[in-house]
Amino acid sequence: MENQNVHIPASGYRTAKGFCLTSAFWMMVATFMGLLGATELIAPDITENIGWLVFGRVRPIHINLVLFGFVTPGLMAAAFYYIPRLLRTELYSETLGVGTVVLWNAALVGVVVSLAAGHTQGREYAELIWPLDVGVVVVFAMVFVNFVMTVATRKEPVLYVSVWYALAGVVLTTLTYCLGNIIWRPDTGALAGIPDAIILWFYGHNIFGLLLTPLSAGVAYYVIPRAVKAPLYSHTLSLVGFWALLVVYTHIGTHHLLQVPVPTWLKVISIVDSVAMVIPVMAFLINIWYTAKGRLGEIHADIGAKFVFTGTIMYFFVSIQGSMMALPQVQRVTHFNNWVVGHAHIGVLGFAGMIALGGLYYILPYLTGRPLYSRFLADFQYWMVLIGVSGFTVVLTIVGLIQGNAWLNGETVYRLLPPVHIYYVLRAALGLMIFSSALLGFYNITRSMFFEPGESS
Amino acid sequence: MKMTPKSVIVGSVLILAAVVFVAVWLPYVTRHEKPSEIFRTRTPVEEEGRLIYIANGCVYCHSQSIRTIDWGVGAERIAQAGDYIADRPILLGSERTGVDLSQEGGEHPDDWHIAHFTNPRYVRPNSIMPAFAFLGMDQLKILTAYVQGLGMKDADARMERQRYWKKKVTEAYEAGPEENVHWLNEHVPQGWRDVPNPYPTTEAGLARGEKIYQDNCFGCHSPIGDGMGPAQPWIYPPPFNFTILKGREISGGILYYQIMNGITGSAMPYFKKELESEKIWDVGNFVAVYFINQSDANTEPRGIDASYEPGGFKPPQQP
Repeated sequence: MENQNVHIPASGYRTAKGFCLTSAFWMMVATFMGLLGATELIAPDITENIGWLVFGRVRPIHINLVLFGFVTPGLMAAAFYYIPRLLRTELYSETLGVGTVVLWNAALVGVVVSLAAGHTQGREYAELIWPLDVGVVVVFAMVFVNFVMTVATRKEPVLYVSVWYALAGVVLTTLTYCLGNIIWRPDTGALAGIPDAIILWFYGHNIFGLLLTPLSAGVAYYVIPRAVKAPLYSHTLSLVGFWALLVVYTHIGTHHLLQVPVPTWLKVISIVDSVAMVIPVMAFLINIWYTAKGRLGEIHADIGAKFVFTGTIMYFFVSIQGSMMALPQVQRVTHFNNWVVGHAHIGVLGFAGMIALGGLYYILPYLTGRPLYSRFLADFQYWMVLIGVSGFTVVLTIVGLIQGNAWLNGETVYRLLPPVHIYYVLRAALGLMIFSSALLGFYNITRSMFFEPGESS
Repeated sequence: MKMTPKSVIVGSVLILAAVVFVAVWLPYVTRHEKPSEIFRTRTPVEEEGRLIYIANGCVYCHSQSIRTIDWGVGAERIAQAGDYIADRPILLGSERTGVDLSQEGGEHPDDWHIAHFTNPRYVRPNSIMPAFAFLGMDQLKILTAYVQGLGMKDADARMERQRYWKKKVTEAYEAGPEENVHWLNEHVPQGWRDVPNPYPTTEAGLARGEKIYQDNCFGCHSPIGDGMGPAQPWIYPPPFNFTILKGREISGGILYYQIMNGITGSAMPYFKKELESEKIWDVGNFVAVYFINQSDANTEPRGIDASYEPGGFKPPQQP
């Protein structure tokens, strides 16, 4: 095995390992909350009179844990590995990094406890109460300091594209998080009226545009060329993709508000730029796919690269779908129903989640200096996630079309409940599959990290 | 282009600043919404109820945003920016797992909401909303006050209507069954009272009626039509007992009208948005046949038979 001879620095990649464990652990909790919420929609009295498990509290816990517990730490783990490697240096401070991991996990515990107790600011993706907002900003600032200082002490003069994405993603998320959570108003964390909706969706969309997407792109740009042992296809496309992403993605939050009385010119900007998203998306994808062209065997041979490459295909689907959904005529059918929930799952689980897992599995042998505990389990997890997220897409898109068309045709929400019930059952079944895959993943990752192969636990 | 740490960080922050200027700051400073014609400030108890609404994540399933393309509750008024000026945070919602609530105030009386919050399936058998009995009655009343204010001045007008008719239906109920039935029949327009159910009783029609009854009615009126469904303890006047109606001049038209239009003031909602014509005739006849044990289906006066009607064709007698 090539991994047997990997050089592990004295620091031992403690930060990257910490983020791996964080991601693997919170993926279990996050997907369980999703499964629980899905179950409550088919058996609403299953948690009757357990206030802290009421659907309206379970849902934000699920979403916040997926975003900040599973996907972001997974992508961070890879970044904390590839940034020093790409810059031919060591991480500026493993101590600071481990401190970040600890504080990050403390904040996640705070997220679960506060939301379960009903302490929320009631704004989608910006629910967290002010002390937790501050905690999130602090951990992102700590990550930023570590990245920037590592860059400052680099021995490699050229900054590779993955490093651009990691730096920009972290600094821009810190800023938009403050803005979107109206962090200067600790009591409500909100503006009043329509401006609140505008800034909320500006921020909400940027969680994908300025956090998940850049960090995922960073991982893909690192893993794919290395896995296929080929240079990146085009530096120019890297530049176009990077700058276009920042310019275009940031404009489009208002496409969540096309059916709401916000200024028309703002809606026009959001629609035009939503369609223009094809530029950064295709610049990135063409670059990655042409790098891998003719070398798919290498992708198949590496489980990490397989996850990552699948993530890029999901990125294609979710982006094209997103551009279409921003068209007002399409949105007449898709808005307010499960179509959008399906879209969110392709994006966060299919694209960013797949790439987070891929990055994690790709770096794990390099972090430990030995092969994965079980390639088979990782492959099994891959198929469970892939079938789960594809199934979600099919099922939720069908429900969305049923709901959207029936509503347009004058059916009430209540009348639609019996016909969509069976799809909610299927959704929960697929959720069980994804939760099970998280259990497998946690077992595989902890075994890889803490036990020698063949050693009994 | 050479990418240095400075160009990456400063460049991206500058782009973000430019976008925030255009897409966030400009709309914020250039639009100053005036209150809409229905706007009023919330009362302290409504504000308190709004916090309960937020704490329990109601916004994840209920929008407060009526669009031009909507039907259903509240569709009579399209949302305007001036409706939201006091909403901090704004609670537009992004998903309609449940109904839109922006004009919910006064659609139902308070007792319906208490029964519904205690367990939504008590009044809406197919509902998938969680039960909120765990909040306790005090909190439920505060939450109800908030919901009854949704729609602001329009909601106030509807609440005034609810309170007026609540007094009337309560008086009628307390005057005894005979007087109550008489009062209810009197409040159905004469034209409807004179109309029998125009369609014949069929096995298929009764089966459809039973399905409609189970999906919409039995939480209050109970599976045997005696008004002792699970919602009964919370509702006053209590749900109607159909089994006392035999011989009390309940025409198919009366049943149709009461189901279509509801009985404002009582917990009986209107079903005209949820049930189309045939469904209302079918469930009305189901009630008449099984619970009242007296149906006027397909009796005189009759018009031209509907083309689908089963049975042999007999030409009507020429006058």
